[in-house]
Amino acid sequence: MIGQKLDHYTILSQLGEGGMGVVYRARDEVLNRDVALKLLAPGTVDKVGRGHLLREAQTASSLSHPNICTIHQVGQTGDDFYVVMELIEGRSLTDLHSATGLSMETVSRYGAQIADALAHAHGRGIVHRDLKGSNVMITPEGRVKVLDFGLATRLEREEISELTLSYDDLESKLVGTLPYMAPEVLRGQKGDHLSDLWSLGILLYEAAAGRLPFLGSTGFEVSAAILREPLPPLPPSVPHGLAGLIQRCLMKERVERYQQASEVRAALEALQGAILQSRHPSEETRGPRTLVLRGMQHLTVKNGDVLLLVGTNKGAFLLKSSRDRSRWDVAGPYFHGQGVYSMAYDGRNGLHRLWLSTNSAIWGTFLRSSDDFGRSWTNPLEASIRFPAETGASLRNIWQLCLGRDDEPGTLYCGVEPAALFASHDGGESWSLSRSLYDHPHRPRWTPSNGGLFLHTIVPDPTNRARNYVAISAGGVYRTEDSGASWQARNAGVRVVFMPEKYPEFGQCVHKIVLHESRPARLFLQNHWGLYRSDNHGDSWRDIARGVPSDFGFTMVMHPHDPDCVYILPVESDEFRCTPEGKLRVYRTRNAGGSWEALERGLPQKGAYETVLRDAMSPDTLDPAGLYFGTRSGKLYASRDEGKSWKKIVEGLPQIVCVKAAVIQMDGAPGPRPLSKAKSTAKRKSQSTRSSKPRKRK
Amino acid sequence: MQVSFHIPGPLRSFTENRSLVQLEVKANANLLDALQYLFAAFPGLRDRVLTESGEVRRHVNFFVGNENVRYTGGLSTPIAAASEISIVPAISGG
Repeated sequence: MIGQKLDHYTILSQLGEGGMGVVYRARDEVLNRDVALKLLAPGTVDKVGRGHLLREAQTASSLSHPNICTIHQVGQTGDDFYVVMELIEGRSLTDLHSATGLSMETVSRYGAQIADALAHAHGRGIVHRDLKGSNVMITPEGRVKVLDFGLATRLEREEISELTLSYDDLESKLVGTLPYMAPEVLRGQKGDHLSDLWSLGILLYEAAAGRLPFLGSTGFEVSAAILREPLPPLPPSVPHGLAGLIQRCLMKERVERYQQASEVRAALEALQGAILQSRHPSEETRGPRTLVLRGMQHLTVKNGDVLLLVGTNKGAFLLKSSRDRSRWDVAGPYFHGQGVYSMAYDGRNGLHRLWLSTNSAIWGTFLRSSDDFGRSWTNPLEASIRFPAETGASLRNIWQLCLGRDDEPGTLYCGVEPAALFASHDGGESWSLSRSLYDHPHRPRWTPSNGGLFLHTIVPDPTNRARNYVAISAGGVYRTEDSGASWQARNAGVRVVFMPEKYPEFGQCVHKIVLHESRPARLFLQNHWGLYRSDNHGDSWRDIARGVPSDFGFTMVMHPHDPDCVYILPVESDEFRCTPEGKLRVYRTRNAGGSWEALERGLPQKGAYETVLRDAMSPDTLDPAGLYFGTRSGKLYASRDEGKSWKKIVEGLPQIVCVKAAVIQMDGAPGPRPLSKAKSTAKRKSQSTRSSKPRKRK
Repeated sequence: MQVSFHIPGPLRSFTENRSLVQLEVKANANLLDALQYLFAAFPGLRDRVLTESGEVRRHVNFFVGNENVRYTGGLSTPIAAASEISIVPAISGG
């Protein structure tokens, strides 16, 4: 053929050969340009019929789209039936595939262009019917050109049988087509726009994975795989979004596929941006993205150090001291400008994980963690704590982060606003709402307190895995005995000052409850007016407010080693939520509420109108125990002698809403002196009777 | 059709520090439709501007052109080709 003329086209060279005929480079002598000329094989023409082929080709030639190879002319000279097309210099998609597949960015970029071409053609009633890698050209500029629109002929049932049987014959004219065929086409139905979307799915799969999904050594095996086998998984480097999209194109049931090429295009375009931002293939599977905080002084933490997690309404701070607790390094603010109402240190699972919640008035509430003492934090793309859609509720704040028991190291709890409990049993990866508490029949009659309606305290019973307590403002104390399947109000004896009925079953505005692990039946409670103790797992409570300047207060802390010792920080009233008489005093009982004593050494006793909020006090676990509290005015006080004397260690912070202390135990390193509880308690008692003189500092 | 999104500073950690994102969205899109394209491209944005129940966060404002969508139909506000959609945090303090 080379050198011959067809009409006003001179054949220059052969470009390729396919099932339908041979493609030549030709010179258009009239318009003085090179074109591609496809000379259809006589068999093709005979089979379909000239008239039909001509009509289809003419329809296809009406397509004008940047990603569709333009058909200039359909012609016939004697017995030769030919199609003149735009000459595309480039490589086919098949030629571009490497063993590992194309980059995800490239796959979605090319895929979107192919889908756009399909959408254009489908919109005009033209179906491709033979979309495959060799029919997609990529120009040197990276533009996709889809070839042979509307030129593929419908295969008859016998031909498909023939094809599946003869696939091992590489000479078969349709050898390149079979792996792209939709199941319905293999069953003999006429290919339509949904079959094109299947073929697009195969093409995307091949481009992303570097291999075809349905393989076999014979045509029969390939078609059997297409018809029956599940889609083999894509490599992990393929982002979830793209994998899901490919999967949807390759649903064997047509109704489950995308129904329009434009949908595929939109989805691919949307993915492009997402893929652009995560160029490292592993990043998608690594979970939450990380926020690395640079330009900030971070802490270097060693074995045995004491760490203070300090949450404020405008960010978090971390403080660190060696065991002697005399000098503190301060780092932060972390997440400045956002409220950090809950923090926790989790030393389980061989990790040193800091947890905190960030609450932005504008951008919402997120749970984050750091495994390197604050140098980097998770920056989750999606909120991990979220109310199920059917509740219609949305998270307003996380008020409490609570670790599960030592023997359930994957368990974490969060108490949130609106009042609800969330639990995670996989180390904080996934969270679920406690439905029984959320759907509790009392809920409609819980009333929001000053800070809203929220669950702020979670106390797991250390000796009974099925029993947990929660405290809700203003709903009261609730207890489960069956791992959260049901919750019972446990407020008998707790007075509600602000309600007509003074001792209702529920509705109390409880501010804090605590228990000691060595006496789990006994709980202490700081109420919105009232100090209480229960000796029967909360079944009933009795007033223990003797010898305190006010029984109003927010915080309450259990001594780490002495089950009879509790600390509170009274404020004057609910109207004047400041320390009585302008004196900043911690009160302590060492006889389980029988009497209270003021601890004021080192604390300002004049003009100190301070407020200490419910989670703003914490003990450490050393002996003698350290105690720490922060004020709403941003001062942080510490005692290293169980409260006898205090020292201001930082001031000028934003409003402190959360203080948690932890002693860091590194793996394999000798830890802080282990203390048996009995010994510790005995020692505590003997100290308390010995002398009120402060211990000498080391 | 193409629309532009103006991204405020606090959210740019989710848009590769881009202050302007241009996306092709479907014709006859409303604001929510257009946002879905943005969220698909930059998944971290969704939960920052909408609650889990799908409402616009209280202190987040969307503007289409110079109009606050609170007065033009909220998330159902129709979007024309070449629209400029701004995500604007409310001026609030505390």
